[in-house]
Amino acid sequence: MTTEIVRTKDLHKTYDQNGPKPYEALKGITFSVQQGEFVGIMGASGSGKTTLLNIMATLDQPTSGSVEIDGKDVTNLTANQMSDFRSEKLGFIFQDFNLLETLTAQENIALPLSLQNKKAGETKQSVEAAAKKLGIDDLLSKYPTQLSGGQKQRVAAARALVANPSIIFGDEPTGALDSTNARELLDTLTNINQQGVSILLVTHDPFSASFCKRILFIKDGKIGDEIDADGKSRNEFYQQILEKLGTFEQ
Amino acid sequence: MLFKISLSGVKSRWKDYLVLFSGMMITTAIFYMFEAISTNDKFTTSSPVGQNAKFVFIFGSILLAIITLVYVFYANNFLMSMRKHDYGLFMMLGAKSKVISKLIILETLVIGLASTFVGIILGVGFTKGLSGLLSSQIHVPLTNFSAFYMPAVWSTLILFLVLFVIAGLVNARTFMKTSALNLLRSNQESDWKDPKKRTLFVQAVVGLVLLAIGYYAMYDINHLQLLAIGIGLITIVLGTYFVFNSFFVMILEAVQRSNTSYKGLNNFTISQLKFRIRDYTKILSVVSLLFALALGAITVGIGFQRMVPMMAAGNNAYAVGLTNPSPKMKSLVGGIDGKTQVTYQQKVDPSTKSVYYRASQFEAQPFKYAHFTNQAQLKSKIDNASLTQLKDRASTAYASLNNLQTPLTRSLRIRLVSDTTFNQINAKANTLLLVRVKDMDAAATTLSKITNLQTRQYGKKVSEGLGVGGAFETYQLLKGVFGSLEFMGIFLGIAFLAMLASCLMFKILSGAASDKTRFEMLNKIGARKSVLNRSIAVQILGLFILPAVLGIIDVAFGLQMFIKANLLHGAYQTFGWSALGFSILYLIYYGITVMIYSKIVVPQTKVEK
Repeated sequence: MTTEIVRTKDLHKTYDQNGPKPYEALKGITFSVQQGEFVGIMGASGSGKTTLLNIMATLDQPTSGSVEIDGKDVTNLTANQMSDFRSEKLGFIFQDFNLLETLTAQENIALPLSLQNKKAGETKQSVEAAAKKLGIDDLLSKYPTQLSGGQKQRVAAARALVANPSIIFGDEPTGALDSTNARELLDTLTNINQQGVSILLVTHDPFSASFCKRILFIKDGKIGDEIDADGKSRNEFYQQILEKLGTFEQ
Repeated sequence: MLFKISLSGVKSRWKDYLVLFSGMMITTAIFYMFEAISTNDKFTTSSPVGQNAKFVFIFGSILLAIITLVYVFYANNFLMSMRKHDYGLFMMLGAKSKVISKLIILETLVIGLASTFVGIILGVGFTKGLSGLLSSQIHVPLTNFSAFYMPAVWSTLILFLVLFVIAGLVNARTFMKTSALNLLRSNQESDWKDPKKRTLFVQAVVGLVLLAIGYYAMYDINHLQLLAIGIGLITIVLGTYFVFNSFFVMILEAVQRSNTSYKGLNNFTISQLKFRIRDYTKILSVVSLLFALALGAITVGIGFQRMVPMMAAGNNAYAVGLTNPSPKMKSLVGGIDGKTQVTYQQKVDPSTKSVYYRASQFEAQPFKYAHFTNQAQLKSKIDNASLTQLKDRASTAYASLNNLQTPLTRSLRIRLVSDTTFNQINAKANTLLLVRVKDMDAAATTLSKITNLQTRQYGKKVSEGLGVGGAFETYQLLKGVFGSLEFMGIFLGIAFLAMLASCLMFKILSGAASDKTRFEMLNKIGARKSVLNRSIAVQILGLFILPAVLGIIDVAFGLQMFIKANLLHGAYQTFGWSALGFSILYLIYYGITVMIYSKIVVPQTKVEK
């Protein structure tokens, strides 16, 4: 039996609730992600997908409803507890890699562990292990400016992976990449996923989404539809997504 | 239309503009303060150094104008870093770059002129406040000085207008050359390259050696004479640059190599600081040198003031000598705290050209006289005068007593006689009241009231150049000489400090916008808000404290020039206090910078519990 790594229940989010123009971004979202799944969330701009991601990533709190990650309800944490939770349980991959230019690859990857105040020796070991997984162990002493786009992505992925998070969140991680580099990153993510790490990707790009195993479509703050790769080839799944989008967005 | 767009731009970012605006206002106010003295020829040339003071102020004005220019550019960079995205958007929407250029110039000028006007008003207030405070603190009446001075208003207005026009044109030019796309995506990565170890080491050694040579030159000024100043200037400027560019970076690298750098955000903090120091080497060097100049000016200024009571104390043990004091004088004397007084009887006999005193009184209450034990260090001692000393016209004791008599009797011979002889002299018996005070500065207001009454009592003789006598007379005389010098020193120092700290502040703040994404990322990967705030506080502290430390060391050695040339005494004590006061002002700037920076870069947690 697989365990649930993310479980959201009737999530609502209203911005400016007491203001003159309250705006309901999420209107009751319920879904779950199983351990080791690779799930995509798709939707047009303004559909509420980023709001949903922010709530799951403890960067925002819902107006009502609950989010459990790895069995822990994260909707009632204090600001500090939220920060600690992120550093221990969550991994992030950003649109522009967001590597710190003044730190070496090794130091960049080590950041989440440093934030947990892990011992230096332990940190170094974990960094080397993560780097090895992504095939960048010979680049550790280099600065980001000395790395190619693809190498930078792998460093960013290693940083997301290093603290053994329960789940990795990606917010349009290919948004700023050319097709070759985007492809490389998605392959890397697939590779990480195959090693048992759960991934949740927010995107509006069908190509990126086709690497996922399951896709949730959000429209106007609600889950409108859901499709499963179900053993289809990536290409077939891609076609299915395109079809779905064609009918879904209308 | 243009104006409307511009205005709405300002409105939408009112808080950020407020920072910029208040910074500009303070800069204008400081410059005005300085000009209020500098353009006032009557005031500067009436000082004892006369024409020389004018040159000092012309030099100071130019220096301040240069710093102001730098400041205006940094402040404008800060402004532009906030507006880049908007301008890029306007251009994407089809606005011509010419229109945008006009917009930029218009915005820069509107903000500039508004802040200049308010700044001048503020400057008049500052000038009034500070000059009032200083003149009461150092007991110098500021004649020919007024807080509102039209030529100062003009020179401030013209300078700032010119600066803003230049800044506007330069900004506009930069924008014309940048494509809309680049403007929209202006948060480019910094081009950090790890400096080569060997270059770093060589530069660090060269920097330290140059500083050492400079410091030694100042220390050995007696030997090197004017050459010391030349050597000092060149080696210290270059040395400071190299030390920032390499030595501090090397130290930070050493810290980074230690295991502590893996705790929290230490590694990030140190590496950012390292990057900033190398990126800001020039401004940090300038700040450090100006810090030294400003602190030096204040120290020397205050040093002169501190010397005044010491010089006065060595001149006479008694502050004033009152012959036949009026009841008003007596009541004024009664009001002085911590005084001791003594009264002698005196008879004046013009026929024998003598002033007679009872020897018995001098035996019962010995007359005290002051004499320097170390003229160079202004150390003096007070001793009881023996009768033999008081009879010897060549003795210091005799001269001291003579100095305390009225100007009318000072040319007569002092004779100490027995009571019998004294009683036989056919003249009116006067009383001579001698007053000693513990703290001349504290008693200065009362003492000057007393001496005013004395002047009236003695009439013409005083105006003929013979003073009322006593240590307080010396004190007042020296205050006149050094007071305005001190006033200028302190004024100059504070103006410089405020300006350089503002410069540093805006240079740092203008980098905040590009730091935003870094802090957002750190927040997402789980850095607590307190950890982020601490990292900012440490980074900015490094940028503030390193130039200050170097500046303080510069002054510590620079003072040797004054000490060796016997110009200043007790300099290091003064230095300690002024460095402390100076550092407090400087720290206030630091605090404000950290606050604003944190507000810009630390992401607000959406739900605070």
